[in-house]
Amino acid sequence: MKPLNVLVIDNEDVICTACHLVLTEKGHAVDYCKTGKSGLLAMARSKYDLVLLDMKLPDMDGMDILRSLKDEMPPLRVIVMTGYSTLSNAVQAMKLGAADYLSKPFTDDELVQAVEKVFEVN
Amino acid sequence: MHSLTNLQNVLDVVVTKSTQAVNAKGTLLRILNKETNRFEVRAAAGLGERYLSKGPVSTEKILSTLSKPGEVYIITDIWNAPRVEYPQQTWDEGIRMLLDVPLAVGEQVTGLLRIYLTEQRELSTDELDFIKTVAMQCACVIERVGLIQKQQSRFDYLASQVEKGSSLGRMAAGIAHEINNPLAGILLYSSNMCKKVPKGGPLEECLKIIMKETQRCKSIIQGLLDFAREQEPEMALVNVNDVINSAVGIVENEFHLRHVRIQKELAEDMVEVLLDKNQIEQVFINLLLNSLHAVDDKGLVTVKSTVDEENRKIQVEVADNGCGISKENMEKIFEPFFSTKATGTGLGLAVSYGIVANHKGDIRVSSEPGRGACFIVELPMLPFESLDKERI
Repeated sequence: MKPLNVLVIDNEDVICTACHLVLTEKGHAVDYCKTGKSGLLAMARSKYDLVLLDMKLPDMDGMDILRSLKDEMPPLRVIVMTGYSTLSNAVQAMKLGAADYLSKPFTDDELVQAVEKVFEVN
Repeated sequence: MHSLTNLQNVLDVVVTKSTQAVNAKGTLLRILNKETNRFEVRAAAGLGERYLSKGPVSTEKILSTLSKPGEVYIITDIWNAPRVEYPQQTWDEGIRMLLDVPLAVGEQVTGLLRIYLTEQRELSTDELDFIKTVAMQCACVIERVGLIQKQQSRFDYLASQVEKGSSLGRMAAGIAHEINNPLAGILLYSSNMCKKVPKGGPLEECLKIIMKETQRCKSIIQGLLDFAREQEPEMALVNVNDVINSAVGIVENEFHLRHVRIQKELAEDMVEVLLDKNQIEQVFINLLLNSLHAVDDKGLVTVKSTVDEENRKIQVEVADNGCGISKENMEKIFEPFFSTKATGTGLGLAVSYGIVANHKGDIRVSSEPGRGACFIVELPMLPFESLDKERI
């Protein structure tokens, strides 16, 4: 698949660096931000193909970010990540336009497959 | 006299009035403490401190030679009466005659009223009748207060269990959430590294173990989240026998493989009750699998359903003839994370407890180590009025 510009928004260092490692090895360019606000700023500054978005951020609710992305940047693909996976969470995130859903913890293969699946369909 | 709000007030009135009624020096009221099996002084009137502090009276002494409930035992020979444990002190207190009246409901003696007189005399029928009536009424009050206290302590216990369940649930949800983040780091790095080490080497093996154990943590946490979610049941009118049959169908193969028999004794007159089929099925599966693990090969697990029309409940019993549960484990058996199985998460019964509680039902266990265990799930039947509505 063609290389993607990916932004990871997660307040956990370990998630950011691990996603960075896994996806850069697959040839993608990966940036990461640890707050919702800095994530929104980064998206305003640069063009991304995909956002990996944590649902629970220190400054903002992941659902709110998802809502604003859907309104302002409709072609952007978002994969939601959360440590508190419930079916209703997943359904809500998909309704708000998320392309897929990863429940933590996940393996590198699961991450790569989720990314590939989103862009295969499109 | 039947005011139950304060037992002590009642007992104080009993000793004062009894003393006055027969013009006595004083009265002592003892109640049997079932935990210590001793008759403890609960109220006294007219007696000196020195006399009251003379020492304990043995239960055997009180029960020996005691007259039948409803009768008065009169002691005139203080020095030689077998029931008088401290004759010297009694004499020194100026006492010359004693009346012992058992406080009893039926044949069960729960207390003793002892009236102390300073002179020996004949008692009129009215006086004796008065004392007997007071004793009878007093015994009833003591019994009722005992029952109320028993109910209260059962209620307090259940309330504390519910509270413990919900606060643990909240805490568990928070912890689960925090733990999944570091687990995600571990799993991403280990699965990524696994591809970079020589195939079939010791490093690959170690990394695979790390991945497997991380996945295990994930499934434990998922179970915990299911428990913590306290999902509202989706109620529908269901015959519980159908739920039992489908739960048995799911685990049947597992039983067959281990040569354990399942015997069903389902009530033919079973009525439909409101329940969430999936949740209650999960409870029965949990109980059946627990029983399966408790019995050896060729064991027997019995599932029985009954209708308790009188108490408007239905009951499902899952009993086995396995190893049973020790007394100390019985207390912890419904707590989250308590498990005696090497690979158990300790959530099966905790989840079951939460589900049954959400159905406003009850789940209990009885067991004798070495002689199997029996879990009883009780679910409420529909009240009569809603049954009528259903028909309309």
